Amino acid sequence: MAKFIAKRIGYMLLTLFIVITATFFLMHSIPGDPLAHMARNLPEQTRANYYEKYGLDKSTPEQYVIFMKNLLTKGEMGESLRYPGREVTDTLMTNSSVSAKPGGLALVVGLVIGIVLGIIAALNKNKWPDYIVMFIAILGITVPVFVLASVLQYVFSVKLMVLPTTGWGSWKNVVLPVVVLSFGTIATYARYVKSNMLDVMGQDYILTAEAKGVSRFNVVKSHVLKNSFLPCMTLLVGQVSGIFTGSFVVEKIFGIPGLGFYYINSINDRDYTMIIGTTIFAAALFVFVQLVVDIAYSLMDPRIRVK
Amino acid sequence: MKKKLVAALVAAAMVLSLAACGGKSDGGSSGGSGGSGSAGGEMYYNNYLMTEPSTLDSIKGNDNYSRGILINTMEPLTRLVEKDGEQVREAAGAESWESNEDGTVWTFKIRDNKWSDGQEVTAEDYAYGITQTLNPEAGSPNSFFTASFIKNGSKVVNGEASVEELGVKAVDDKTLEITLEAPTPYFMSLTDTRACYPVRKDFVEKYGETYGSEAENFIGNGPFKIESWVHNSEITLVKNEDYWDADNVKLDKVHYAIINDETAVFNSFDSGQLDTCSTGSEEWVGRFDKKEGVERLDAVIPSMRFDFFNVKDELFSNLNIRKAFVLAVDREDMAKTIYQDMHIPAYWWVPQAVSTGELGDYRDQIEGPLEKMAKEEDAKELLLKGMEELNLGSDPSKLTVKYSMSATTQWARNYGEYVQQKYKDVLGVNIELDFNEWSTFQQKTNSGEYQMGNMIWGTDYDDPMSMISLFTTENSSNIPTNWSNEEFDSLIAQAGKEMDEAKRVELYAQAEEILFNEGCNICPLVNEMQHIFRYSYVKNVDKKYTSTSGAKYIYIEGR
Repeated sequence: MAKFIAKRIGYMLLTLFIVITATFFLMHSIPGDPLAHMARNLPEQTRANYYEKYGLDKSTPEQYVIFMKNLLTKGEMGESLRYPGREVTDTLMTNSSVSAKPGGLALVVGLVIGIVLGIIAALNKNKWPDYIVMFIAILGITVPVFVLASVLQYVFSVKLMVLPTTGWGSWKNVVLPVVVLSFGTIATYARYVKSNMLDVMGQDYILTAEAKGVSRFNVVKSHVLKNSFLPCMTLLVGQVSGIFTGSFVVEKIFGIPGLGFYYINSINDRDYTMIIGTTIFAAALFVFVQLVVDIAYSLMDPRIRVK
Repeated sequence: MKKKLVAALVAAAMVLSLAACGGKSDGGSSGGSGGSGSAGGEMYYNNYLMTEPSTLDSIKGNDNYSRGILINTMEPLTRLVEKDGEQVREAAGAESWESNEDGTVWTFKIRDNKWSDGQEVTAEDYAYGITQTLNPEAGSPNSFFTASFIKNGSKVVNGEASVEELGVKAVDDKTLEITLEAPTPYFMSLTDTRACYPVRKDFVEKYGETYGSEAENFIGNGPFKIESWVHNSEITLVKNEDYWDADNVKLDKVHYAIINDETAVFNSFDSGQLDTCSTGSEEWVGRFDKKEGVERLDAVIPSMRFDFFNVKDELFSNLNIRKAFVLAVDREDMAKTIYQDMHIPAYWWVPQAVSTGELGDYRDQIEGPLEKMAKEEDAKELLLKGMEELNLGSDPSKLTVKYSMSATTQWARNYGEYVQQKYKDVLGVNIELDFNEWSTFQQKTNSGEYQMGNMIWGTDYDDPMSMISLFTTENSSNIPTNWSNEEFDSLIAQAGKEMDEAKRVELYAQAEEILFNEGCNICPLVNEMQHIFRYSYVKNVDKKYTSTSGAKYIYIEGR
């Protein structure tokens, strides 16, 4: 087991290294200038000083070496070029914890409802509960979040005036984003759980259990559920790491000061330090969650460990 | 069996409701004003920003969003305010000012005022702010405001002179002396720009790079002070009791919600969470026009939307071709079709709402040069003439022009198609559309890798000079058309020194004539307007865009 984990961690670090390196060189190769947001062209001397201050006057490989050195020895990613005086690491920490609130809640809500709906649909295959669940699932997958967000905002904030349109700080600000964010999760899991359950229920060992006279509830509880949840964990990787990286669209519409904003805008602004910072954050989170899931898998499913 | 299933479902539902409860207590504990703004007895105003300010450091930042905050938290030397419908320059941070006979040395008497930590405001604070803006070490994007006016300004910015040689000095605690290169008639209109804000040296030194990046790392001396700044979410200002004119400041609080999404802004206004909103969309104007208790204010913004040509490009090196492209645009149709009459068709470069001292609005005095030109010349004829001069034959359909835009949005695409169609109809030329992100666009145009581009530019200070001087040889890098004209340069230089308002206006008019008759390196399209909606309980707001009174005199009655 220890060997397995050590190997996984090794792969994890290698992946991160490749992602960082590729991103670093790619972002420096796209045309554009981090000073462009200032609209006016800076005087020659000022521009030169600015470039020198942020080390942008050096060649990309040199900048890469300096960046890696700072990252590995001090854990520093530097200061945002777009928002002077703000450390990238601070922004990542503060804003990801904001994103995590609606994101985490939405995942819990989405998971619970999605799984329950999936179970209901599977146990009532081709009956009306199944049709209703699948209808919800199709809606959840096809309706874009910005449409859902706008509609909910219009209904609950403008027409009924029960919830604030935008803002951050009160529980009321979290309600609509959670509903919107969980909708997709509900749909995904409902469908996934249903098909997995149906798949498992067709297996021979279920037939054996039923033939032994095990009650339907016990069959579902002890055999079907466990085996059909296992593949769902793969889906979780992306979603758990997505909690912290936030959703650009939903955060924009509801004015949530999360991290989603920085993923998109740092690229448009050519805010190099922020681009690499957000990328490292997302990549590290993803591989870390992947590792946890892999370990969990191997604990729950002996077949994987043997391989 | 059924019972057990029901039990399982009930259990699931309980887990669900627990999760929901967790959410409530979780969010509620962080408190906050939440934007509903129902604070009892306090007079508050709910405003918004479309984007997070980059920094509140007046030296380093130059975005409009921080400008909105700084105008309320800093006390500029003067403020441009509206009294009985007229704009007047009011004494603010400076109690009084005078200049020597030839107008080159200005002496400001600094008013007794306090910083929000209780320290006295001194002339040294203003001198430091002005000097640092020009100090290349500080890396300020705002040096262009004052560099060419203050003595040795350009030299300091370019590292050719030390900051000690700059014509700015604090004679004593309350006397600020600014020496200019030459008499500058509109110098006073620079005194409320951020290039002349006071800055506390000890604060900048204490916080270094982080000065102005958080509410705590910032200090002001204006009518309001910053209570909190939640990045990308909300900025709250509270009345500054130490402010010299605190008796005339009625508002206790000003909230700025930071909302990146336009629809969310309109929804917030519609539901009363914002007291004001500004829109350029016909749909929303129509909707808010019908709303009760809301007042609409249409104000011209001294800002232009325009195309510009690369004069070094083979095709656009020809004046007649440039003229043809400028005259081919049906501005009335564009304003109607593309902008749904939200902006005004523009036949000029110096926009409306720019004033020339006591003579008032420049555009009220001088007719737009393109109006005359459009009557006298024909676009198609000019094009053919130009093609002949360049030996390009007589078939415009063989010409393809690359039209670069600085956006990739759906709107930009629709706009591009309109331009494509119109040039095809009127001139018969083909337009190839080139959509870019802003930073790519800037790089392309700056390095001259473009034929024609589309941009927006507004004034930085209230004088025609702010717009017209963009095309002098010295300033040509801002709108990089590569056009240069000696006569134009000399007219602008003369206007820069002419103390007689009427003569100065005349010089501007001549320069603008040359810009179109001999340059035509720009193609003005529309003069921007803003359509502001406010609930009628918001009182005493200045109507003109160029006013710099901020929220100082606003009050709320009957919310």
